[in-house]
Amino acid sequence: MKIPKEPLQNKYFKYGITFLIVISSIWSASGLEITLERILDAPRQIGILVGAMFPLDLSEEALDRIIPKVWESLFIAWAGTVIGAFFSFPISFLAANNTSNSSISRIMKQILNAIRAFPELILAFVFLPITGLGPLTGTLAVGVHSIGTLGKLSSEVIEGIDEGPLEAIKASGGSKINELTFGVIPQVIPTITSYWLYRFEINLRASAVLGVVGAGGVGAELINQLRFRDFPRAGTVLITTIILVLTVDTISAAIRKRIIQGKVKKS
Amino acid sequence: MIKFENVSVTYPGGVQALKNINLEINEGDFLIIVGLSGAGKSTLLRATNNLVKPTTGEVYVDSRNVTSASKKELKQIRSDIGMIFQTFNLVNRSTVLKNVLTGRLSQVSSLRSIFGLWPKDQKDLAFESLNQVEILEKAYVRASNLSGGQQQRVGIARALSQKPKVMLADEPVASLDPITSRVVMSYLKKINTELGITTIVNLHFLDLAKEFGDRLIGLRDGELVYDGKVTDVSDKDFENIYGRSIKSSDLIGDDE
Amino acid sequence: MMNNLPKKPLPSALSVIGIPFSILFSFYSFLQIGFNLEDFKTNLQNRFIVTDPLFNPKWSWAIENASQAMVETIQIAILASIVGCFIALPLSFYASRATNKNTYSYFLYKSFLNLVRTIPDLFWAMLFTVAVGLGPFAGVLALIMFSIAIMGKLLSETIDSIDPGPMEAAKATGGTHNQAIFTSALPQVLPNFTAYFLYIFELCIRASVILGLVGAGGVGRIIETQRIFLRFDRISPIVVLILIVVIGIEQFSVWLRRKIL
Repeated sequence: MKIPKEPLQNKYFKYGITFLIVISSIWSASGLEITLERILDAPRQIGILVGAMFPLDLSEEALDRIIPKVWESLFIAWAGTVIGAFFSFPISFLAANNTSNSSISRIMKQILNAIRAFPELILAFVFLPITGLGPLTGTLAVGVHSIGTLGKLSSEVIEGIDEGPLEAIKASGGSKINELTFGVIPQVIPTITSYWLYRFEINLRASAVLGVVGAGGVGAELINQLRFRDFPRAGTVLITTIILVLTVDTISAAIRKRIIQGKVKKS
Repeated sequence: MIKFENVSVTYPGGVQALKNINLEINEGDFLIIVGLSGAGKSTLLRATNNLVKPTTGEVYVDSRNVTSASKKELKQIRSDIGMIFQTFNLVNRSTVLKNVLTGRLSQVSSLRSIFGLWPKDQKDLAFESLNQVEILEKAYVRASNLSGGQQQRVGIARALSQKPKVMLADEPVASLDPITSRVVMSYLKKINTELGITTIVNLHFLDLAKEFGDRLIGLRDGELVYDGKVTDVSDKDFENIYGRSIKSSDLIGDDE
Repeated sequence: MMNNLPKKPLPSALSVIGIPFSILFSFYSFLQIGFNLEDFKTNLQNRFIVTDPLFNPKWSWAIENASQAMVETIQIAILASIVGCFIALPLSFYASRATNKNTYSYFLYKSFLNLVRTIPDLFWAMLFTVAVGLGPFAGVLALIMFSIAIMGKLLSETIDSIDPGPMEAAKATGGTHNQAIFTSALPQVLPNFTAYFLYIFELCIRASVILGLVGAGGVGRIIETQRIFLRFDRISPIVVLILIVVIGIEQFSVWLRRKIL
């Protein structure tokens, strides 16, 4: 019985990766001065914080401050997504290499990449001195960033369509516009719309955070309450944010599922 | 060796897959089960190692009650029963050796199997089994890189490595071409005659059943409608089992 | 013959209600935000406060003062993504129907993952800075939660769609449920796990820049202090450096993914 030998590169690869992971973790941990002591003490400290948040501050005064801000986060997220969807839609056609010519498409893709690279918060920084404190800045930051991400995703959807229907339209004498309207758009609308909704879910979290720099939303409330050590109130901010995000997530996920599945409706 | 006592299986949703099956299989038997899709062949096989739990009735393997066995006992019983599947059920990204070693899972501690630290004797057993189906040289090849017939042989090796008393084969050749199917069936027959392993095979190719079987069982709508020697079975019997006349798709034929 | 035309199907409830609602809600949102075209135009005049320094980057200052912090940012991302993703690995198996047959525990783990997902990373950072103090440790903890959230969702959904056959085979040989998972389910999702890990690592680098804003370590701290003084001339080189690092990692992960698969 001739037993074959195990190829060496499998073993080396596995050991190599494990080694890399362990070494980089240790290097990072020591560089950040994270000792075992601190790690072991952390649960206790977290427990103290959580404990201090209960009972939650559900007084009218607190809710009067917090609830409008929660709504504000919702509006910022929605408006920002609308801006993103509205502008990214035409841009994505310019960026997709099958609906526009190759040089324009390449340029647009680079522009979109550049916009995408900046987190919403950094964009908010840049807009703040111009548009001032308040939700408008947040909306612009979220909106511009969304144009970048949605633009890229939408252009990829467009690039991935089935060219067959377009050919058929051309063959029956349709113009390029006809091709777009009847061939491309019906194919891409469901997926792109579901991307818009997914973006909305993510933007909601971003807009909650933007308050930290004064660009509107509930983040400012949280950081203020924490600074003033008013933990029950901070807890209320957290809980209300969680409720909002969970609700939006659930509804949005259900709608997205329906949109995608709608293509395969029961006859 | 294997005894079915009044076994019925009803799936949630109301489908009754087996209706009051009474069956006795002797040690060393080579049993072939035929029947239409949905007749209950798969269910019968899976009731043998309790992958499907009978709604009523008991199954005994080697005098041990499989149906009401505890978790621990069930593991023991299953380690004596090898099973091969129509879709091979190999872990595609793992090597052939790793796949065969899963046959030894019941014999090593969880920790060892999780980290892949197999002791030498277990590996040797795996190599032996691979040798018996003549693909030892492929031990370190990724399972997905093998042909269908080779993959099924790995499945057989996996079952063999358990040193089983019983071998269950659920439509083992349904996705294979005629020549490879006969190769696989020959291996199963060889294992049965040389090692005395009680073997049950589900088939839907009737000519293959006649070629390789000793004893033949026919299921129709969850009921046992034929039980006899393969040499005694006639085309009329097959029609009775199927509830219709025989079509060419029921025969594997020869390779063109 | 024309009388037998099929009835045109009614548009789905979703579009009948959804589309007008979305349009109305959009107008309402913009109203609430207080978008005023005149003010906006006036404000645009101010853009030079930002754009002048922005396009005048002070590289030497950035390299001198921000390098240590950049290393810190990367270290936070490395530690958090590794620890977070490896914690998420077992959690994901518990949060998938395919590998967790116990309805109660499945529900528990799935809800836990959903809950962790709802809290934005910056919120985690704020909470941890209060709990364990300012500095990168809080940032690491926050990003661990962030990584768990993302990996948990992605991986559990992947596990939901694996081939159950190999697991059945492993159990048929007498293996325990856990043995079946390790030998037959895990290998199936390993390529996805790796891809998700690299993706999350990249996200962590970007996120850890932001976390510094609330004192959770990394280069964000410097950006924040400079921002208050409107020193965009110092911020822009830092941001560019970060972008270079992020793009570099992106290229590396594309290369690595190609090698593994």
